[in-house]
Amino acid sequence: MKKAIRRACALMLCLAGSTMVAPAMASGSIEALANTCNNCHGLKGVSVGASMPSIGGQSESYLRMVMLEWKNGTRYSATMGRLLKGYSDEQIAALAKYFAAQPWVPAEQRAPDQVIFNGRLVSDRCTTCHGERGGQPTDAETPRLNGQWAMYLEMELDKYRDEAVKLPHRKMRKNAQKLEPAEVSEVSHFMAVQKGQ
Amino acid sequence: MNSVNRRVFLQSLAAAGSASILTVPAARATTTAKARVVVVGGGFGGAAAAKYIKVMDPAIDVTLVEPNATYTACPLSNEVISGHRTLESLQTRYGGLTARGINIVQRWVTAVDPVKKVVTLTGGATLSYDALIMAPGVDFTWGAVEGYTQAVSEEIPHAYKAGPQTLLLKDQVMAMKDGEVCIIAPPPKPFRCPPGPYERAAQIAHYLKHHGKGKSKILILDPNDSFSKQALFTQAWKALYPGMIEWVPGKDDGKVVKIDPKTRTCYTTFGEHKGRVVNIIPAHKAGKIARDAGLANAQGWCEVKPMSMESTVHADIYPVGDCCIAGELPVYDMPKSAHMAVTQAKVAAGAIIAKLNGLPNPEPFYVNTCYSLAAPDYGFSVVHVYKVEDNKFIYVKTAGGVSPVQAPPITRRLEAEYANGWFNNIMADAFV
Repeated sequence: MKKAIRRACALMLCLAGSTMVAPAMASGSIEALANTCNNCHGLKGVSVGASMPSIGGQSESYLRMVMLEWKNGTRYSATMGRLLKGYSDEQIAALAKYFAAQPWVPAEQRAPDQVIFNGRLVSDRCTTCHGERGGQPTDAETPRLNGQWAMYLEMELDKYRDEAVKLPHRKMRKNAQKLEPAEVSEVSHFMAVQKGQ
Repeated sequence: MNSVNRRVFLQSLAAAGSASILTVPAARATTTAKARVVVVGGGFGGAAAAKYIKVMDPAIDVTLVEPNATYTACPLSNEVISGHRTLESLQTRYGGLTARGINIVQRWVTAVDPVKKVVTLTGGATLSYDALIMAPGVDFTWGAVEGYTQAVSEEIPHAYKAGPQTLLLKDQVMAMKDGEVCIIAPPPKPFRCPPGPYERAAQIAHYLKHHGKGKSKILILDPNDSFSKQALFTQAWKALYPGMIEWVPGKDDGKVVKIDPKTRTCYTTFGEHKGRVVNIIPAHKAGKIARDAGLANAQGWCEVKPMSMESTVHADIYPVGDCCIAGELPVYDMPKSAHMAVTQAKVAAGAIIAKLNGLPNPEPFYVNTCYSLAAPDYGFSVVHVYKVEDNKFIYVKTAGGVSPVQAPPITRRLEAEYANGWFNNIMADAFV
């Protein structure tokens, strides 16, 4: 499939010429707005930095919800709240729609077999809501975890485990706090290496 | 190609590129190109502008002119001085841009003719352009501190352009004995990476503290009376390196006016300070080619139109990155950061493509995020959001700002990790 895409791209690039007039941005300014997110979250929301989550392909409801919560200050954030206070609710909705429409690209990661095995043993704390392999959340406000960066997942769990951090989701906090310290990393790696749903 | 197919194609191209599976060399548009864009300088601003023009409209011929084959990024380079990063971890070449079909020319631009719209390269070759991105970064004003010349900087480093200078400063810091003094002299505002000198103080202190040299001191002799993220740095210095870092503002005779390189003595108006290591960061101005092209104002910076990043002096030239001055002056000017440069580049790219295609100028969006590391697990940030109203930059005061001084302790560790993640993404955003 990848080869087919490559060939198609190559062919189409060869065809590219002076007859092409409609650039990608002609579809509207959402692309220009979304481009401001790429600096940290990658082109089309595919992050290449382990502490920064990929956002392309997350559900629209989830993305809109967390962005609005950051903007309104009901959800702790280290950085995002300060940024989102500069965006209108309409812009936030448009960004959520844009990134939800992008393909979900699992990050290439590895972990020792033993770590993944241990992670699987405690993954039932996650799978009830996020799906068997983290890729099929039970509702639209729940993010997918499969192929998300392990370091980011670990940092999120650390936030939920810390009572000083203000977060709205009680069930999530309860489950995160029930994990043993070592299990936080293990279960993060288990979800991170899942390629499928 | 109809517009639907074209959109699908562009999406597949972008998706392929982002997943790093696009290995085919893209077609080099030459004779069939509908327009030519020349980019002067391959730092964050120049590289990102070249990339986004090509991503948004592959039919445009894009040529990036950059004398160096390897780029060394400045963000996080203070961690090289403390030994937490290698210089190599900050470096990239231009293969990512070549793979996207951008022509890379390894030369200097020696002249710009804004009327004929032609640039001249070292060796005499010329390139004509329909639009020009001007991203040469900054030059230093040698002699602004008496006795501090380019030749002297080979022994007393500025280390404010990442590369050999960074390693020289690192070596000198490592050679310090316990109890010796390191002097840092920041430049007058505006300068690139506003928190840079103060992050550097923390990184040097971190090295000294953890290598049995905790009695050493870092003395910051500052011509300015305030600095970026000041409350956060002051808090971090006190918490992490108590008694090691002293900051002397301009109003308390902090401004270094002269240096004796032989004795490593810094002279302020009324005093003198001797350092085992001296780090002078000279005053900045826009890179020479931007000034030679007539783009700079009396203070040495390129002014731009907020809607497009087009120069206020010459049409079809777009200064981006550290060379330009923008924002609500004098307090809310846009910081000279990698993030800001990439953001500006995207605005310029959008404006250029719209103009070349006869489309309306897209609404510009300007944001900045800048992380500083006081220790490997201790970071904080500043965020800026700008809007354009009535052709003016407006700093959105309800947003942005620095990390809270009173925050859950986990915040500093999280932001330190975000700094590293940000770096990987911004490098990819500009160079891949």
